[in-house]
Amino acid sequence: MGFGQFLAAPEIKLKLITYRDVFQDSAKESSRFGEEYEKLSAVIRLDPKDISKLAIKEGDTVFVKNGSGKVIVKAMKSGYEEPHPGIAYMVNGPWSNALVPDDTGGTGVPKFKDIEATVQSAKGGKVTGILDIF
Amino acid sequence: MVVCLSNNYYVCTGCALLCDDIEVELEGSSLVKVHSACRKGVARMKGCETPLECAVNGKSTDTDTAIKEAARILSNAENPLIFGHGNSSSQAQRKAIAIARKTGAYLDDTSSFCQGPIIEAILQGKLRTCTLDEVKDRADVIVFWGADPSSSHPRHMSRYSYFPRGKERQRGWEEDRTAICIDVRKSDTAEICGNNGTYIIPPGEDAEFMDALVSGLSNKVPKTSFDFDKKRILELTNILKKAKFGVIFAGLGLVYSLKDLEPLFALMDKLNSVSSFHLIPMVGQYNMRGSNHNIFEETGYVNRVKFGTEVLHGPEYSVVEALKEKAVDAALIIGSDPLSSLPLSVARYLTEIPLITIDPCQTLTSSKSDVTIPCALAGVESGGTAIRMDGVEVEMKKIIETDRLSDEEILTRILEAL
Amino acid sequence: MLTMASVMEIYQLLPKTNCKECGKSTCMAFAVDLLARKVKVEDCLPLVREEKYRANYQKLSEIITPVGDVTETGLIVHEDKCIGCGNCVVACPVNVAADPFGAGSGKAPTSDKVILKVEDGIVRAKNVEECRRFGENKILCVACIDTCPTKAIEFV
Repeated sequence: MGFGQFLAAPEIKLKLITYRDVFQDSAKESSRFGEEYEKLSAVIRLDPKDISKLAIKEGDTVFVKNGSGKVIVKAMKSGYEEPHPGIAYMVNGPWSNALVPDDTGGTGVPKFKDIEATVQSAKGGKVTGILDIF
Repeated sequence: MVVCLSNNYYVCTGCALLCDDIEVELEGSSLVKVHSACRKGVARMKGCETPLECAVNGKSTDTDTAIKEAARILSNAENPLIFGHGNSSSQAQRKAIAIARKTGAYLDDTSSFCQGPIIEAILQGKLRTCTLDEVKDRADVIVFWGADPSSSHPRHMSRYSYFPRGKERQRGWEEDRTAICIDVRKSDTAEICGNNGTYIIPPGEDAEFMDALVSGLSNKVPKTSFDFDKKRILELTNILKKAKFGVIFAGLGLVYSLKDLEPLFALMDKLNSVSSFHLIPMVGQYNMRGSNHNIFEETGYVNRVKFGTEVLHGPEYSVVEALKEKAVDAALIIGSDPLSSLPLSVARYLTEIPLITIDPCQTLTSSKSDVTIPCALAGVESGGTAIRMDGVEVEMKKIIETDRLSDEEILTRILEAL
Repeated sequence: MLTMASVMEIYQLLPKTNCKECGKSTCMAFAVDLLARKVKVEDCLPLVREEKYRANYQKLSEIITPVGDVTETGLIVHEDKCIGCGNCVVACPVNVAADPFGAGSGKAPTSDKVILKVEDGIVRAKNVEECRRFGENKILCVACIDTCPTKAIEFV
């Protein structure tokens, strides 16, 4: 390990938007507790600029946290042509739901597609397992 | 021996499209091949690797004991919550409503934080709708708003909305149909709609974009605070104006970004004053719409009710608020996994109260449940009816035999044991 | 978007030194064979060996995905990408002609003559000799490629 580990990893604020994915959905039908479901769910998709800001490489793990919860997930590039710095995407699932605030304004509808969170390198920390999300 | 049940079609319960043209090959009593269903549907129909066990307090038991214990928990609770329903047949849903009535329960379904408001507006006649068959036969302008069927309902575009030949759409999609995608990101569906058909708007600005479309349709300058290219908005309003049979498929992206449905009502009114437009909600779970219809028939509301001397309704009776406020003291979850699908900050309370899960498979919720009762996989191991995303009733046939009871049978027996 | 890599696109990512280590006389010849999947990306030794080509090596590996079953028309289905939506089944002009009220109308194919059909959630090619890209009067039909949301179909 180099000197880097003693420096605080840069932390950035992001808006998270959740979406659906057919591969992840299919994996869920087979087993919620399977490796495939974790692999396809515990991912945050970022703009390449945000990946450099975090001083990480694609595939590294990151802490994603806010007042509601904290998970470690894998950081990937979104692959979208249009740049979207400051906005990240997570597939709908237990990992994204750990971050959805309970603040609904009394409407009964949580803000699944409008979540504020901070992201920071997990410096090699392991992805949070589905039963460890609690 | 492989038996090919040719021309014997079954219904897929992978999503609320309820595709009814599925053929299967059986080997003994298991499905070895599924024809025409999408990847998600096949995964659903072939079943899970982790079936739910019948257990009370983590110990394996027989169905009778588990049903008795479930009935005991529900009888002892002052305010039980009965939640799920989107993955149950209409017959099972009606039994769940009866249990809620008998136990004075909070009754809510997944539409409470999904398409509930849209379906309610449709059932109240506030939004003009049509069937998917009409879309296939007649629609020439198809708008996917905050919806990505390629990811959520894979066969949507091929079976009904864009690619198939229909009665008045004989020349194929390239000449006969225009597909538009309005979203916050370039989804897989947007890839099909192409750059000309795709409108990327900032998150949460759907209402403003609707207002801008209304302006454009009224021959006014379509202004937006996010400076969306006015020329492109006018191109879009021209397409919408010329539609002979238009349809908007409303996805969760649209539902979640609107504080109320007024901007959508205004847009639909305007569209119907210049052309002809319909709206269909992109319902997820295979019979979520059925749950809305059944609760509506019984109570006059589509979801979020509390039974007592009278039926109460409102956001405070939603699953989210009920759990957040810790207003319920036991819960029966049917075919749903709130610990996965609700915000953890809300759902965590379920682990503090007596919890019953009825499901074919192990879920996060079942892993924290006091009573777990496995049920047959609907559409494969049990039949019944369900309501498609467009409100059409579809009959499901049983394909293979199982020892497990259907959710309808389990709920009937819980009701009797109460 | 990348539906199918062109020879030029591939050539631009090669070392362009015509070193002949791969056994071909020029990098262009290698590019042509790579597109047809007659050689592998790894057959270009300098690309694998030399650090300065690393980015190009990676990019090429992404473009030239491994070939599963190549049919006689060169049609490949990348099974890992296919979601079984059936867009290609319904859009394919041969399917429409062979089965207008089944496949052509969005429903499960009812004819044995269809080329594309979804089985176990993934599209399979059959009767490929009927494909418009095949035979004497072949044309460059792209109906199945253009309608695929996940770029799971490719012709090589």
